[in-house]
Amino acid sequence: MLEIVTRLLFATLDAAPALVFAALGAVLSERAGVVAVGIEGMMRVGAFCAAVAALTVPTPLAVVGGMLAGAALAAVHAYLCIRWRSDQVVSGIALNLVALAGGTFLLETHYGPNGTPPIQQLTAWDWPALSSVPLLGALSGHAAPTYLALALPFLLQALLTRTPLGLRLRAVGDKPHAVATLGLSVPALRWGAVVGGGLLAGLGGAVLSTTVLDRFEQHTPAGLGFMALAAMVFGRWTPLGAFLAAAFFAFGNALRIGLASSAPGLLELVPQGVLLALPYVLTLLVLTLQGQRSRAPAALGVPYEQESR
Amino acid sequence: MMLRLQVLALTALLCACSKKQEETPTQGSQAPSTAQQPAKKAVPVGLVIDVGGRGDHSFNDAALRGLELWAAGKRYEGGKYVDAAPDEVRKSLPAHLTTLATSLQALPVQPVVLQSKAQEDYIPNLQLLVDRGAQLTIGNGYMLANAVRTAAQENPQSRFLLIDSQVLDAQGKALKLPNVRTVLFKEHEGSFLVGALAGLVTKTGKVGFVGGIEVPLIQRFEVGYRAGVKTTKPEAAQTLMSVYTGSFNDMAAGKQVAQDLIAKGADVIFHAAGADGIGVIQAVKEARAAGKSVYAIGVDSDQSHVAPDAILTSMLKHSDLAVYQAARDLVDGKFAAEDQLLGLKEHGVGMAEVRVDFPGKAEALQKVEALRQRVVAGEIKVPSVPADLASFQAPAP
Repeated sequence: MLEIVTRLLFATLDAAPALVFAALGAVLSERAGVVAVGIEGMMRVGAFCAAVAALTVPTPLAVVGGMLAGAALAAVHAYLCIRWRSDQVVSGIALNLVALAGGTFLLETHYGPNGTPPIQQLTAWDWPALSSVPLLGALSGHAAPTYLALALPFLLQALLTRTPLGLRLRAVGDKPHAVATLGLSVPALRWGAVVGGGLLAGLGGAVLSTTVLDRFEQHTPAGLGFMALAAMVFGRWTPLGAFLAAAFFAFGNALRIGLASSAPGLLELVPQGVLLALPYVLTLLVLTLQGQRSRAPAALGVPYEQESR
Repeated sequence: MMLRLQVLALTALLCACSKKQEETPTQGSQAPSTAQQPAKKAVPVGLVIDVGGRGDHSFNDAALRGLELWAAGKRYEGGKYVDAAPDEVRKSLPAHLTTLATSLQALPVQPVVLQSKAQEDYIPNLQLLVDRGAQLTIGNGYMLANAVRTAAQENPQSRFLLIDSQVLDAQGKALKLPNVRTVLFKEHEGSFLVGALAGLVTKTGKVGFVGGIEVPLIQRFEVGYRAGVKTTKPEAAQTLMSVYTGSFNDMAAGKQVAQDLIAKGADVIFHAAGADGIGVIQAVKEARAAGKSVYAIGVDSDQSHVAPDAILTSMLKHSDLAVYQAARDLVDGKFAAEDQLLGLKEHGVGMAEVRVDFPGKAEALQKVEALRQRVVAGEIKVPSVPADLASFQAPAP
């Protein structure tokens, strides 16, 4: 029994990081008042650039390259939404489309339709001392992103709730004019948050192509960016909440797979389709039980104009 | 409010995605250089591939091979067609089809390929190909069944080939249309062979199956595989683990499922999961790097090149052959609307060459070959639906 639970935890920790990073990126951007529909596109760009970079430079460096690529796409979003006050949803969707088509185009012209050539994956770290301990053993044998995904939500939560910068970031998402009256630059704060969100989304994408797989494959990230948005809403726009929601999605998925393979008899009673719906049913259930309304930042999606009231 | 806005945004995005499709450029002026009758003008033949896309190393690539390499003698490279090397066709043939090599002459056809990004693309894609003058339009995959019906009814002068499904009416009953040829495969027969091999190769006595979306088509793979395992290793059939990923384009899902099966002791994993299967192969590759002796079995095309050490064999499904034959019949003016059912006997399915070494390889291959001959001779009836599996009696060796 303990063995099965350890196994489930391991699978969750292995699959969750990309989703966690993307969800954190979405939280950061949206808490500052800029809608993050473009997360999927930023992940795709991050995944692509990390895989391409890893063909020539060491993989950890390539991951940084992927992050920067995600941030670059986010900067376009910030430029359109903050400088030109465009509709944030439209801009995000446009970026998604550009990333989707651009990724396919560059892949086909440079590497053929079969994906990039295989690259060196990030190495998984085995901790022999841990791996024999039940439950804790699930912590051993992951690559660096998993451990980062466990620490980063706490750091981001502390940043947002315990530091002056965090207060300002939250304030530009709720009442930007109040921030402006203090003599702070609303655009600068929003730029920082959006680009920071892009870094995280790019990291999420890079994890997909350097840890989960060993190449960029044409479907990456296959809708994971939208799952990240769902995790953000589910986690009520807080880093810890989004982290828990993302971990919950990953756990639900691992549970489904584990159930299907460890209890073959179950499949004769319950169709696979029901199991496939399990993570989503669990989510609905929790949302229902949660009972409260979700609290989006008050100025989310509203372009900031100095002159408006 | 914001939540609703985002839901709207997602919907808008999905709609927007569906409008987009990838299009392969064609080279209208060039007739295939290897064509037998260079004087004859190249006939446009359209192919709509499914959402898995070009480069799935599997189902779509098989159809593309049939049309582009075998029929037109072209290779798709960097967004355009180049002439294929003379021996490339021969190299792409599995051992049991090399006898066909001489009959696979390049035809004066010009491939026009459209990829579908979403299910809403099927009908517009098919219609676009008809409007472009494609004399034969191929719908690759059961998901296109309804779209092919609609397009065929609206364009009675055009001819269609539907792979993997019959034409179905609105109630889901099989329907005959005068301008549609359909091809079904006996996937269970090919899967039976790889299942038999899996049973002979497994050391842990546990084997696994990873499916994509659980539909009757994919169930045929699973049922045939189970029957094969039952024939050579009955106890492994009892513990066979089967998991469906619920998609055909999510490699991460395939990898996660395979990791789970490997952790539970499976040492041979057969996948019928499209692009998800690349994730399965990836998981097997990583497990091998970690020192476990695990094999994956590929599907539809020979997937050995994806991970040469990790692929035991592949269950071949020759939609390439079906596509080629349809193109040839079109060029010869012999294209007839009919429902084809291709099994081991008709070379519709088969098992790829086993390129890895394991103890007792020669003996195992002999046993599988003997089974193949008995299926071809009709001695062994491989079940195709889960209900028939229980009553399937493993044939005596």
